[in-house]
Amino acid sequence: MRVCIRTGQPAHAPKPRILPAPFWQNRAAHAHSGGAQLRQLRNSHGVARRFVINKSMNETGANDSQPERTGTNGSGSSTHRSPVLRGIRDALVLPAWIVGFSLLGVGSLAQDVGFPFGVAVLSTLLMWAAPAQVILFGGVAGGTALPLLAVAVSLSSIRLLPMTVAMMPMLRRPGQSLLTQLFVAHYVAVTVWIESNRRMPTMPEEERFRYYLGFANACLLVATTMTGIGFLLSAAVPLYLAAGLLFLTPLFFTIALIAGARTLIDQAALFIGAVLAPLFTLLVGPDFDLLATGLVGGTLAWLIGRRRR
Amino acid sequence: MTAFEVAIAPLWPYLVLIMVGFLPSEVWRALGVVVSRGLDERSEIIVWVRAVATTLLAAVVMKLLLTPTGALAAAPILARFGAVVAGVGVYFLARRSVIAGVIAGELILISVTYFALA
Repeated sequence: MRVCIRTGQPAHAPKPRILPAPFWQNRAAHAHSGGAQLRQLRNSHGVARRFVINKSMNETGANDSQPERTGTNGSGSSTHRSPVLRGIRDALVLPAWIVGFSLLGVGSLAQDVGFPFGVAVLSTLLMWAAPAQVILFGGVAGGTALPLLAVAVSLSSIRLLPMTVAMMPMLRRPGQSLLTQLFVAHYVAVTVWIESNRRMPTMPEEERFRYYLGFANACLLVATTMTGIGFLLSAAVPLYLAAGLLFLTPLFFTIALIAGARTLIDQAALFIGAVLAPLFTLLVGPDFDLLATGLVGGTLAWLIGRRRR
Repeated sequence: MTAFEVAIAPLWPYLVLIMVGFLPSEVWRALGVVVSRGLDERSEIIVWVRAVATTLLAAVVMKLLLTPTGALAAAPILARFGAVVAGVGVYFLARRSVIAGVIAGELILISVTYFALA
């Protein structure tokens, strides 16, 4: 609960609550942890400042390494702004561009391989899974038989199943049709998942859905546009830069996952997943290694987290 | 080729996208919607599912680094892993700045690949 020193009123007038900063803005979180703190918040113009006392963050149930800074720039006004706009803003601060640039690489790959412009752009809109898109275009270029390629694409996207299962209970609203739910699930992708998982549990239920749509749509639209740009620029992109663009996916995934890993379960899961993946590639082959790693490693991480609780 | 085949030829890549790209990946999201019905977000099953998802993501990253497809395969394996390690290091050194980590990792991968290919 935040209280304004001057007025003694809650700093967020309508609904005092804790909003964890998005994972790319949580620098302050680890410098200060716990206890009453003085901190400055900028108002909506980002100029005038006021002091806010910030005490016992744990009463919300957030664990103590959770970022403590409210919102972002202009956090004083963020509670008044529409959740859709907040989602769009959070996406455009950084994640939408990272996803965008990695799909610029995918667009460029699609052009190299000889797919038409429309397929490149639609692949982002429809598949919305960069690794699967790279496998699709790379596989067609390499002459893989299409049924085998479909299986390879599918196996590389298995992560979407547990991600969707973990996400839907937060987004479901009473009376939502199956079609709406399928539409909502289509936006599930790594960046959207990591950020929503961090933000939405502390968000009022009625805001989650709109925040999610704002964030996810901003990411998807930026990424789709960048795929088109990548396609058109393809001839001008030298190989080392193309490698750099495709490298954004694993690099950003790694850093964002580490940044978002706040509980012991998360940290154990990341470590175990990274160690088990190559091992299972050797043991069960390159087709079912992801599935095996996820099930075995995830259960191990869950058990480790359970023993601690 | 028959007239029909000529007529549908331009649509072939779109059909490949739908059948080989869209449906095989979207099926997991659809399945996720069905499977998650009636589950509470605080239930133990969701905690487990989240652990499985996080493990899978780490595994996907490892696979992308170990056996990349496309232009990334041109980057030496040491550059790929070195750049990720450096990116994570810079992320922590720069007081948990994701953008600093990403830029550092990218600079290392691109420059090493540039000189490796030269």
